[in-house]
Amino acid sequence: MTELVVKNVQKWLGGLQILKGASFTADRGSIVALLGASGSGKTTLLRCIAGLEQPEIGHIRIGDKVAMDSDKRILLPPEQRNIGLVFQSYALWPHRTVKENVGYGLKLRGVNKADMDRRIQHILERLGLGHLADRYPSQLSGGQQQRVAICRALVYEPRVLLLDEPLSNLDAKLREEARYWIRKLILDLEICAILVTHDQTEALAAADHILLLQNGRIVQEGTPHEIYSNPTSFYAADFLGANNIARGKLLSMDGDVARIGGEGWELDGVVRERQGLSPSVDAQAVIRVERITIGDAPGPNRLEMQLDDSVYLGDRWEYRVRRGDFAVKANGNRRLPGGKVYAEFPPESVWVFPAAQG
Amino acid sequence: MSMNATEIARGLAQVERGDPPPKIASPIDARWYRNIAIGLLAIAVLAPVGLIVYQSFLDGPFFSPRSSVSLEAYRYVLTDPTFWIALRTTTIFAFGMVFVAVPLGGILAFLLTRTDIRFKRTLEILVLVPMFISSIVLAFGYTVSVGPSGFLTIWFRELFGGVPWNLYSLPGIILIAGLSHVPHVYLYVSAAMRNLPSDLEEAARTSGASIWQVSRDVTLPMVLPALIFAAALNLLLGFETFGIPLVLGDPNGILVLTTYIYKLTTLFGVPTYQLMAVVAMVLILITLPLVFFQRRLLRNSRRYAALGGKGARATPLKLGGNGQVIALTGIAIWLLVSVALPIGGISVRAFVSAWGQGIDLLDYVTLANFDRLLEVPSLSRGIVNTLLLSVVGGAAAVFIYLLVGLAGHRNHGTSNTVLDYIVLLPRALPGLVIGLAFFWVFLFVPFLTPLRPTLVALFIAYMVVGLSYGLRLLQGTLIQVSPELEEAARTSGATIGRTWRDIVIPIVRPGLAGAWALIMIIFLREYATGVYLMGAGTEVIGSLMVTLLQTGAMDTIAALAFISIIMTAAGLTLALRLGAKIHD
Repeated sequence: MTELVVKNVQKWLGGLQILKGASFTADRGSIVALLGASGSGKTTLLRCIAGLEQPEIGHIRIGDKVAMDSDKRILLPPEQRNIGLVFQSYALWPHRTVKENVGYGLKLRGVNKADMDRRIQHILERLGLGHLADRYPSQLSGGQQQRVAICRALVYEPRVLLLDEPLSNLDAKLREEARYWIRKLILDLEICAILVTHDQTEALAAADHILLLQNGRIVQEGTPHEIYSNPTSFYAADFLGANNIARGKLLSMDGDVARIGGEGWELDGVVRERQGLSPSVDAQAVIRVERITIGDAPGPNRLEMQLDDSVYLGDRWEYRVRRGDFAVKANGNRRLPGGKVYAEFPPESVWVFPAAQG
Repeated sequence: MSMNATEIARGLAQVERGDPPPKIASPIDARWYRNIAIGLLAIAVLAPVGLIVYQSFLDGPFFSPRSSVSLEAYRYVLTDPTFWIALRTTTIFAFGMVFVAVPLGGILAFLLTRTDIRFKRTLEILVLVPMFISSIVLAFGYTVSVGPSGFLTIWFRELFGGVPWNLYSLPGIILIAGLSHVPHVYLYVSAAMRNLPSDLEEAARTSGASIWQVSRDVTLPMVLPALIFAAALNLLLGFETFGIPLVLGDPNGILVLTTYIYKLTTLFGVPTYQLMAVVAMVLILITLPLVFFQRRLLRNSRRYAALGGKGARATPLKLGGNGQVIALTGIAIWLLVSVALPIGGISVRAFVSAWGQGIDLLDYVTLANFDRLLEVPSLSRGIVNTLLLSVVGGAAAVFIYLLVGLAGHRNHGTSNTVLDYIVLLPRALPGLVIGLAFFWVFLFVPFLTPLRPTLVALFIAYMVVGLSYGLRLLQGTLIQVSPELEEAARTSGATIGRTWRDIVIPIVRPGLAGAWALIMIIFLREYATGVYLMGAGTEVIGSLMVTLLQTGAMDTIAALAFISIIMTAAGLTLALRLGAKIHD
């Protein structure tokens, strides 16, 4: 069931357009991640959905209520949208106890005292905070504060839960755990959640659907797997994963199959973005680090290269290899002696794009 | 996607022009409340100012049917040599005051924020004291201690046969006023120095600059905006001063613009409202540009402050043994002159019945001066009224400032710009003129007339006098509430009014108490506003002192001044207890 519809949302800040027509829908029991670098407009889009920012153009529907429509001149204030928002800073009210923080939304909705206490206690216990109900936010750890913030946004069962970088203030280990239980909680409660993040791992691990934003536009959307393995633009390919970029000229192109090369090297690959590509123009290829293997004998799709160094990274070794101006990183599980090696580039993993403009 | 062609075209056109399409009016964002609150305030401020402007273009009192529009009043004032002398004196006075106060205030700020001077905590509070005492009390204090027949003067003359000072001269007045305005400079400059990120100074030091070079090449340029701001502020205060020139200048006929206004009545025997209005207009024309200049400076200095990195303090400059002695002696002399001298003088004067050459004060100790306060109804009423106005009125004023502050809180509409400018206006007006203008308002507006002989009239005038200071206090407190705390309430389902009530006000409550104490002190020390506005039944201490000066009832003035000092001290203690941020 579709809980959120966002259509052609456009927003300006002074003369600068920061959202250029974002459209997407989100369903009950699923998590949509808005992923992008800082300045891509993801937080602005979230705040437009919450009603904290006013887009000039667009249509937003939450549940069965139109929250915003520029044609019908409808604009609901945040309090009438029935949403829950978890802030990056958690924004817990310092003068209210955990219980009062969580119960505020219920109080505003006129829930009676007994019911309120029951629901507060229920959600606090569910998130392992039952014993902290009478504490003040300043007496809690960061992880506990984050869980209180989530309780506060969930307790009145909003139609849409909005999460603005909810994990960025946690340390790395806590973050991995939180990523897991937040996803489980949302799926269990069957609510619709929108997660804003700049962290690709977070988006890949937590979301059912990812929207990749660049300069106020959604440049690609799809399941985490689609986004990671089928990028349709250089930006999408480069933003996710650990990558090697090869810059050279397009030597030949036949359908999706292409050959790219530079000084002393040539690689077979597949075309990912056709526009602007034709033989002998500048082109670039994105090759995920994990797709390159290093061997000690020539073979198909293998390029003779020079190994400069092996860098120890704990769980693996990173190889720095080079041929002329073409340098790449690859991974392996043992130290290799410097000198001549053969790097294998599977053609389906060499994604060819037109060269960046300018 | 249902987007029709016109919509797309409109969208594209916008992109090309770079202009956003108009926003949809938000249905509820407390727009009505904001407009009404700011509108009412605008009336309260603009009505008296408008009346001054109107009155200045009449040839008689505005309420007289025989008055007609004319430039006669301007002609009279602008051809009156006394006016030009007063204007000249005022200018010399204001600049002289800046000349005394700014360097001293700057040095004081440097010593207390950047060095390891001893007794720092105590001094930080002590140096602000002159700011909290009403200048009429200060001036009177100087008269009784170092005036021609002051205690110290007599004692000094007995010892050396003469005194090298003359309090009742222009340099004497400038010196006294300058010294008493040092705290105003200190306050702004020390704030700027505290905000100065220490890494900037440390970067200079590691580049090889000595600590004095750092002060000159890094610290000074960085606090220059604050110094200029403080100078502009003092210039403004200089043009508006009333108490000090009234008490110290009058005996030798030294007039400034405010005392010229005050003396106009005596000169003609009847109130010449049109002439007073013209002089007030001249004052406004001088002070308003200063206020706008300050506003621009403040914006710039905020930009400087925003650069401030971490709160880490720089390693304080070591003064060394001699340095400590010199610095502390300097501060002690200044405190002696600007606090101990006037307050001490009043404290002695209030308890003796006679003094003079060869008289042992101990023989004349008396409480009789205070008896009069109980005997004369207007005096005892004055004390009660002053207490009422500052304690109850102060609380009410804070409440009003809070309502106005909320109306301007995260308000991005036009009404906020209106508020910004409205608040500036009262700063351009001396309390004497605001009081006069409100006196007219309460005479002029029929439904307000019954309020004139009540404390309400005084309260409204005081509220406007304290507006810019009080509102800045409140706004400073409100802005500390993180916007996300408010947004979290909104997304939880609270309206903006509910958010203010449940989130914003509870969080700022401690700040409100501090603001109340500070406003209380401001109202306690106010003396000029009530000069015209007070009547039988609405006397206040400060204005009583101004009127008593005419009669020369020094015993009574001394007793009143003493009580005023005690009240201010109590207020200051309360403010410190409540954790008021005096340093903001």
